[in-house]
Amino acid sequence: MQFRKSYPSILFLAIALGATAARASQAPVPPATTVPKPTAQVTDELGRKVKVTTDVRRIVSLAPNLTETVYALGLQERLAGDTDYCDYPKEAAGKPHVGGPMSPSIEAIVALQPDLVLATTSINRVETVAALERVGIAVYVSDPHSVEGLLAGIRKIADITGASASGKSMVDDLQARLDSLHASLNGSTPCRVLFVVWSSPLISIGQGTFIADALKLAGAESVVKSTRNWPEMSLEEVIRLRPEYLVFARGHDDPDAGNLDALRKKPVYRDLKPVREGHVVSVSDSIDRPAPRMIDAIEALAHQLHPEVFAALRDDFGPRDWDSASWLPAKAGAKEGYLCGR
Amino acid sequence: MRPLTPRRLLSVCAILAGVLFVVVVLSLRLGAYSISSGDIVMTLINRVIGRTNQIPSEFNLVVFGLRLPRIALGILVGASLSVAGAGFQALLRNPLADPYVLGVSSGAALGAILSLSLAPHSPLAMQGAAFLGAVGTIAAVYFLGRRGGQLDSSTLLLAGIISASFLSAIISFLMTTLAGRDLRGMAFWLMGDLSSAPPADPGRWFGWLFFVFFIAAGAIYTTASDLNLILTGEEEARHLGVHVGRVKLVVYVSASLLTGLAVSVSGSIGYVGLLVPHVIRMIFGSDYRLLIPATAIGGAIAIVFADTLARMVVAPTELPVGAMTALAGAPVFIYLLRRRMR
Repeated sequence: MQFRKSYPSILFLAIALGATAARASQAPVPPATTVPKPTAQVTDELGRKVKVTTDVRRIVSLAPNLTETVYALGLQERLAGDTDYCDYPKEAAGKPHVGGPMSPSIEAIVALQPDLVLATTSINRVETVAALERVGIAVYVSDPHSVEGLLAGIRKIADITGASASGKSMVDDLQARLDSLHASLNGSTPCRVLFVVWSSPLISIGQGTFIADALKLAGAESVVKSTRNWPEMSLEEVIRLRPEYLVFARGHDDPDAGNLDALRKKPVYRDLKPVREGHVVSVSDSIDRPAPRMIDAIEALAHQLHPEVFAALRDDFGPRDWDSASWLPAKAGAKEGYLCGR
Repeated sequence: MRPLTPRRLLSVCAILAGVLFVVVVLSLRLGAYSISSGDIVMTLINRVIGRTNQIPSEFNLVVFGLRLPRIALGILVGASLSVAGAGFQALLRNPLADPYVLGVSSGAALGAILSLSLAPHSPLAMQGAAFLGAVGTIAAVYFLGRRGGQLDSSTLLLAGIISASFLSAIISFLMTTLAGRDLRGMAFWLMGDLSSAPPADPGRWFGWLFFVFFIAAGAIYTTASDLNLILTGEEEARHLGVHVGRVKLVVYVSASLLTGLAVSVSGSIGYVGLLVPHVIRMIFGSDYRLLIPATAIGGAIAIVFADTLARMVVAPTELPVGAMTALAGAPVFIYLLRRRMR
C-alpha cells in the first residue's frame, strides 16, 4: 500500500528530473495533463497530416522565427522550450533550450512534454521531425517560400494553438501594411540588387526563397537567377551581373556586413559600382527570418531603396521604429544616385 | 641516374615554366565574366606600358583584381605544398608522405581556426598559429610513427591518418562551440579554397608570402645533395660525412613552414604534395637537386590548373579547389599504395 501510494510521486520525481535535465526548471508553464485530450487533424505546410490536441498548452519551437511568431501571437506563456539561437524577443533566451535547430536533443524535447512542436524546413532537419513522430509528438512543419505563405502559416499556427482571433488581427494588420507599401511603390522601377546573406564566402539567394519574394515587395529584384536557395557566388559573377545596390543582412557576427567604410577599403569590393556610389544598404536580419517582424524589414528596405517615393510621405509617418540610426547614414554622399532604373 | 648538368636543370625548368605560362594564360582567359583573348592581351599590354586609363574598368577589376591574384595565390600554394611534400618524402623516407596525408594540414587548419577565434583580425597571428599547428602535428606523427626506434611506413601512415581525424574532430568541436553560426566561413579551412579576396595591399602581401616561400624552399634546396645520399641509407650518408640530424631538422622545419604558409592562405588542399613529386620523379628522375625546383613549378601548374577547372565545372558557382585535387588525387594515392604493397 505504502509503495502504491507513493507511485505518483515517483513518477513526478522522474518527470522533474527529466525536466531538470532539459534545463526546464524555471518554466512558468502549466503542467501537462495526463487525461487524453480531444485531437483534431491538421495539415501542415508540407502536406503532412498531424493529429494535434485541440487544447495546446505546451509548445516547443525549434527555430528563432517560430519563437518570434509564438511571442507575436501572445502565446509566450505556453512556450515550454525553444533553441539556443532563439534571441528575439530577449525573454525567449530565458526559456529552456533544447539545443541548436540543426541538432536539438530529442530527449530534452520529450522531457518538456509538448503538445505541439513547431519546426521549419528552412533550418530544421527532416530527421528531427521523423524522430519526434516516432515518439508520438505532434510536429507542425512550416515551409515558407513567400511572404504570402508566411502570413498564411502564421494564421494556421494561430488556429491550431487556439489564438485564431489575435492571429487574424495581426495578419490583417501586416497585410494592410504590405498593401499600403505596394500602393506607394506602384510605378517605381524595381532596383536591381545583390542580396548578400554571407560575405565570405559570398552567398546570395535564389529565386525560390522568401527573401527573393520580400525583395519584390520592397521594390527590388535580385540579380541572381539561381534555382538553388543559397547559391555561392564568385565576385566575377557579381561584376558580370552589375547590381545597382548591395543589400546586406545585418546581425550575423560579420563585421563587414553593410559597412560602407569597410567595403571601401576592401580590394575588388571597393571598385564595385554600388560601393563607389554608396549604394550599400543593410537591413535587419529579420529579413531572413520568416516571422511577423519581416514586414518591418521589408518596409525599412523599401524606404532605403526608394527614398524619393517616401520623401513626401515621411512627415506624415512620425517617429516610427525603422532601425533608423543604422541605415540612414549609409546614404550620405550619394544624393543623386538613388532613383533606381532612372 | 643521369648526371645533372646546369644545362639539364635549366632546360627542365624552362619547359615546366612554359607549361605554367600556358596554364596561367588559360586561367586568365576563363571565368564567369567572359573576356575575349584579344581583350586579355590588350589589357595586359596596356597595363605593362602604363596606359591603365585605356582599360575598361570591369576588365581591370576582373583581370587584376580577381584572376591574377588568384593565380598568384595558386602558384604560391601549389609550389609550397609540393616542395613540402618532396621534403617530407625524403625526411621520412616514404614516398607516400604528404602534408595532407600526414595530418599536417589538419594541424595547421586547427592552429588557424584557434587563432581566428581567439585573436581575430590579426593576420600574422593566423600564419604563425598555422605554422605551429603544422610543426606540432608532424612532431606528434613522427613520434607515433616510430616502432622499435625505426620509422615504419605503415605505422607512420596510420599515425598520420589518426592524427588527421583526431584534429578534424577538435575542429568540428570548435566550430560548433566557438563559432556559433559561422560554419561556412570556417568550413573553408577544411576544404581548400583560393577564392578569398586578397587583403588591402596585395602587392606587399604577396611579396611577403613569396619571400617566406623562397627562404624555406631555398633552405630545403641547400640540403638537396645530402637528401640524395640519405635516401640511399642514413648510415651510408653518415659515413660519407652528411650531418644527418642537421639536414633532417632543416627539412623538417622548412617543410612545416611551407605547409603552414599554404594552409594559412588557402585552407587544406590535399594530395598535391603527394602527387606532384611523384609525377616529377617519374618523368625527370629522383635527383633532389632537380626534383625540388621542378616540383615547385609542377605544383604551381597543378593548382592553377585544378583551380581553373574548379571555377569552370559548375559555373557560375565554384567548387573549392581542394575538392578537385582530392577527386584526382585519392585514386592515384590508392594506386601508389597498392603498387608498393606488391
